[in-house]
Amino acid sequence: MASKLSYVQAVSSVNPSFWNKLTEIKLNVDKLSESPRPVWGYFTLLSKTTVNQPLIELDSTSFNSDFNGQNMYVPFKGKVINKNTVEDFKECNKQDVINTEGKCLCENIVSGEAIKNPVLLNSFLLLTFADLKKYHYYYWFSFPVPSGLVLEKFSAKIISEEFNSDRLKQLYVAFQALDAMNKTYFIIENQNDKLLVHSLSSKLSELTAESTTDIYFAFFNISMDNKSIGSQLRNYAALILHHCPFLKGKTQKFVAVSVTRHGSEVGLDTSVIYNLLLPDVSTDKFDSWVGWEKNERDKMGPRVANMKNTLDPKIIAENSVYLNLKLMKWRIVPDINLEVTENAKCLLIGAGTLGCAVARCLLGWGVRNITFADNGYVSHSNPVRQSLYTYEDALSMKAKSEVAPKNLEKIFPGVNAKGVHICIPMPGHSVGESMLKQTVEAVQVLTDLIKDHDIIFLLTDSRESRWLPTLLGCYHKKIVINSALGFDSYLVMRHGCSSDTSNNPELVQDIEGYKIIDGDNLGCYFCNDVTAPGDSMKNRTLDQQCTVTRPGVAQIAGALAVELAVSILQHEKRIKAPAFYKISSKAEDLDPEIENQCILGLIPHSIRGFLSSFNQMLPATMKYDKCVACSDVILNEYKEKGIDFLLKVFDSSKHLEDVTKLTEMLADFDMDEILEFSDEEIE
Amino acid sequence: MDTGFSYDNFEKCITEIVNVSNKLLDGWKIESKQDCDAKFMTKKHSTYLDGLDGSKTLVTFEYHVAYSLSYGVPVLCFNIWRQDGTMLTIEEYWSLNQSLKDSNMHDTLTQMDHPVLCRPFLTLHPCKTSEFFQPFLENSKNPVVSWLSVVGSFVHLQLLEDYIKCC
Ligand SMILES: [Zn+2]
Repeated sequence: MASKLSYVQAVSSVNPSFWNKLTEIKLNVDKLSESPRPVWGYFTLLSKTTVNQPLIELDSTSFNSDFNGQNMYVPFKGKVINKNTVEDFKECNKQDVINTEGKCLCENIVSGEAIKNPVLLNSFLLLTFADLKKYHYYYWFSFPVPSGLVLEKFSAKIISEEFNSDRLKQLYVAFQALDAMNKTYFIIENQNDKLLVHSLSSKLSELTAESTTDIYFAFFNISMDNKSIGSQLRNYAALILHHCPFLKGKTQKFVAVSVTRHGSEVGLDTSVIYNLLLPDVSTDKFDSWVGWEKNERDKMGPRVANMKNTLDPKIIAENSVYLNLKLMKWRIVPDINLEVTENAKCLLIGAGTLGCAVARCLLGWGVRNITFADNGYVSHSNPVRQSLYTYEDALSMKAKSEVAPKNLEKIFPGVNAKGVHICIPMPGHSVGESMLKQTVEAVQVLTDLIKDHDIIFLLTDSRESRWLPTLLGCYHKKIVINSALGFDSYLVMRHGCSSDTSNNPELVQDIEGYKIIDGDNLGCYFCNDVTAPGDSMKNRTLDQQCTVTRPGVAQIAGALAVELAVSILQHEKRIKAPAFYKISSKAEDLDPEIENQCILGLIPHSIRGFLSSFNQMLPATMKYDKCVACSDVILNEYKEKGIDFLLKVFDSSKHLEDVTKLTEMLADFDMDEILEFSDEEIE
Repeated sequence: MDTGFSYDNFEKCITEIVNVSNKLLDGWKIESKQDCDAKFMTKKHSTYLDGLDGSKTLVTFEYHVAYSLSYGVPVLCFNIWRQDGTMLTIEEYWSLNQSLKDSNMHDTLTQMDHPVLCRPFLTLHPCKTSEFFQPFLENSKNPVVSWLSVVGSFVHLQLLEDYIKCC
């Protein structure tokens, strides 16, 4: 009794490197050409035990001219047609496409080309469209077979029922001696109980109706079970019928070859011998072809591979950067909030040595939004100290606000870096009629920048240029990190913010031996500076314009500024995080509560370092209630009079003293308000 | 790091493995990068990964065994992709890997640059490798096999009995 054969179709499995290579070829070689390109498909010789689907693999070597399957793969021979637009891909008539391919296959059968090169019977077609901006790949495989060719099965038995194990061992050796192309389809001849293996080209033309009784038409079966057969058998039958027409309407023996491993033995024992009834058809009747692959939803339709994460080099860079940070989270500080750092918008006022150092360290923390505000140009002395500039930049004297973001993007394309060329208005730098419009504009630009950002880094090289951003940062309750350099000393500090309630700053003694200053009540750069004029232990050696500094100072201070900012972000109170300071020498060691103020440790108010002694201390100071930049008096004056107040200050810094009555205050200055962690370090 | 296991030892070990593999059609092959003497061994392997929701995902593993000069030990790197070529991230693989469930993901698995190809791969943490590897140096004729037979099983890589015979 004859019964229908059950077929399986190859299942496509595309390696990432295939898409990579396809992209490379499209961009560099094919460009707008849509002409088909030959590709190899790989089918593992050894039956898979872990997967029950017949996977045909494509990778970057699929585009090679020679098949390199070693002894492990059986080839499929295909074409990739890469369409230029998604419309072309979707709208081309799929039946026409597969029929054209089928016709081509038919011609290879008729001409005998497929006898010389039997892999042509394993034809496939891959229709693609590569959206290279998004790294999306639309694709659809087809494995064409003639729809009008029906084979019927009379009997099927495992090969070992017909041949003993010695024969099968010989058969395996002979099979392995065939080259990869001829392993796909070949002829086995049973000659006096010896099994001979012939390539199609050496045997097919000799066959006669009489000689086929000892002949087995062998084919490598891609099916993973021994009940079904790879659909390409129909192409094989078409070839046999065309070249051996005497077999039409006859039964003929076939061997569905499969290679399996049992223990240390590899062999053909699970191959199946079929007795098949060959139909009486001729190749010119094959005008309709089938074989499009179903997609992952089991529908007749294309698939889309979204390879953005795998192939886009920018995404790969980004993932690697964030993986580094994630490792920190996973392995060292599980509770760290990386998103808050990543999303913090940072404004860097000053793009010199400090600005460059801060920007690069922010990249390390995965900070995405970085804006530079600067009015300088790259000069020849800059590149060796300012890590974002090169000799070329100096030659072309580009604005730092233009070069810094560009070079930052070169280092890490995932960053959103901007630059604003701006002269920051300064107290005592008279505006005059001609400069008025420009100055008012600059104030507006700076105000908007500060409002738009979360952290303001003050990194300029003069005291005066820090005044306006200090005031605005305080007024808008932003995290302000200030850094200033001396020849071999540095200061990094966070500014207190304006308090919502105008309560008197109070010191709360909370932990034995320590006092606490609320974030609200911490001083700013000017609180410290102004209260200690002429005292060399305080800031007078810092922040002189054109200060000559040891080259390492800016790198250290820049890094500390970023680390301080990140620690603040990790504290639940953020800018209002208190600063602790030691008031009793009895408190020898850091209290754990202080040491673990945030998950990264304590959050000092300021860090002063001295390279001459390689020493560092952590003083904390109260907000000075008549500070020229952050006191309520000043903030209120600004709130009420706005730009008019500012213009007065720009005209004459003495206006500040008038508002704050600074002269009177100097008399009240109390040294004890400089507070720090370690008593020994300051006298 | 001087572990007493040189690159030459490594190459000898992987050559031995590939010879056995060729007989068994097991798929291991030796590869190298252009303009680079360092060889490494690779193998592809397709399988289904079971999701917690009972779903099955067909994936292909590509294993690379390369020599890390800095650690002085072999490194097992791998990439995993779905049928359409999209790769699994560490987290995605973790959620589909039952054999690692009890350990801390990032103590065990990490992403690292391939010692030869210098591209990111998933890998078993190399510090762990030195730990695992050391005892095999004294007791095994092919420490790469001994080590792989232990660590491979954590990441869906099963080594055939035949390899163990050459240790
Ligand atoms: Zn102040």
